[in-house]
Amino acid sequence: MAAPVIETHALGKTFGLAPVLRDTAFSLLPGAAAIVIGANGAGKSTLLKILAGLVAPSDGYALVFGEDTRCFSPRCRGRIGMVSHQSFLYPSLTARENLKFYGELYGIADPSAAAESWLERVGLSDFGRERVRTFSRGMEQRLAVARAMIHDPALLLLDEPFAALDADGRSRVTALIKSALEEGCSVLATAHQPFEIEEVALDLYEIVRGQVVPFQEKEEGRRGGRLRSLPRPRSS
Amino acid sequence: MRPFVALLRKDLLLELRSGRTTTALVSLALLVLVVLAFALDRTITGGSDAAAGAMWVALVFAGMLGATRVMLAEQENGCLRALLLSPVDRATLYAAKLSAAFIFMLGAAFAAMVLAILFFNLEFSSVAGTLAIALLLGALGFSALATLLAAISARARGGELLLPILIVPLFVPALIAGVKASASALSGAQFAAAAQWFGVLIAFDVLFVAAGYLLFEHVVGEE
Repeated sequence: MAAPVIETHALGKTFGLAPVLRDTAFSLLPGAAAIVIGANGAGKSTLLKILAGLVAPSDGYALVFGEDTRCFSPRCRGRIGMVSHQSFLYPSLTARENLKFYGELYGIADPSAAAESWLERVGLSDFGRERVRTFSRGMEQRLAVARAMIHDPALLLLDEPFAALDADGRSRVTALIKSALEEGCSVLATAHQPFEIEEVALDLYEIVRGQVVPFQEKEEGRRGGRLRSLPRPRSS
Repeated sequence: MRPFVALLRKDLLLELRSGRTTTALVSLALLVLVVLAFALDRTITGGSDAAAGAMWVALVFAGMLGATRVMLAEQENGCLRALLLSPVDRATLYAAKLSAAFIFMLGAAFAAMVLAILFFNLEFSSVAGTLAIALLLGALGFSALATLLAAISARARGGELLLPILIVPLFVPALIAGVKASASALSGAQFAAAAQWFGVLIAFDVLFVAAGYLLFEHVVGEE
């Protein structure tokens, strides 16, 4: 069996005295897609930030592509694409300039062509010369998705990817996620409510009292089986 | 090299679009020099000493606004996180940020120098070379210090308030050396007369460029 793209071992995160995540152990296999559902403040964003190497866990550890998230190599970081609550876009730059800039950071051969292509794919080709400052929240979200995917990542971490999107934006982003999965990309997304992508087996998880647990009680039929729980470490 | 160029070009483009840093640098340098030109009694302090002091005060205040903004601009929309998530190594990130801050500081140094010469009625042609070296070294040291401390303060709550408190005391050795070297240059003394002060400026630059290069990764790393 292929090595998991994501593995967490007794992962925990505490902010001050408040534990957000605790004793989280799960993994995501290559090419699999999973959704983590939870209420506001449940720890969904924190989980993704830990997996992206942006936040250090308080307890346990997480491995992404076999590397500890606390000491990612540049190569490993280059294989991850992330959509966060913040768009990571420069308001004073145009949509095209933003994409081209990120394309250059990720060492894409032709960043200008990639920027054009991705503007087209997210339906913003008419707005390439507009500054991001003038964009609506939904347009910014579309561009944020393009920014996260411009380097064809092997792992997509999507924090509420459909936030602020209209019907067209939703269907475009859904198509992009599906296309990425078909190309072998692994996807871990968070959401408040479960969502579906046609012809794609999505594994549902939820965060309950800081622990990531399968969403089996309510959605038994949805489990694809590719997201598997790891055995908990034995307490001595 | 390509990420470095992309980062530097992006910072310069952002500045070109907003003009915030340049406006702040020049207007603050102008304000400080106007006040000091009228406040200082040149018969007591000597024209060159007063001009050197005023020029460096203007440079430090203007630089505090300009050089630090290069890092603070990354906080908007969480862009710093995107840079940390990218495969660009931290040393390249630091080098690009330092270069952008240095370019802005050179602008501030040039503005402070021209304004000081105008307000203090100095003979410029004979001292240009020595004065330019002093300002260049001072600007580099200040940029290195400001980039490192701005990266620290970007992670702290109320970091913008913390920044001046940290920068000014740490910059004092270079400030004294810069003022002395500039005063020596403006009084028409030979380069050798201020050699020891240039030594201090070079040591300060080496120390803080190296410190920034080594510590930047830990300063901007994971939360």
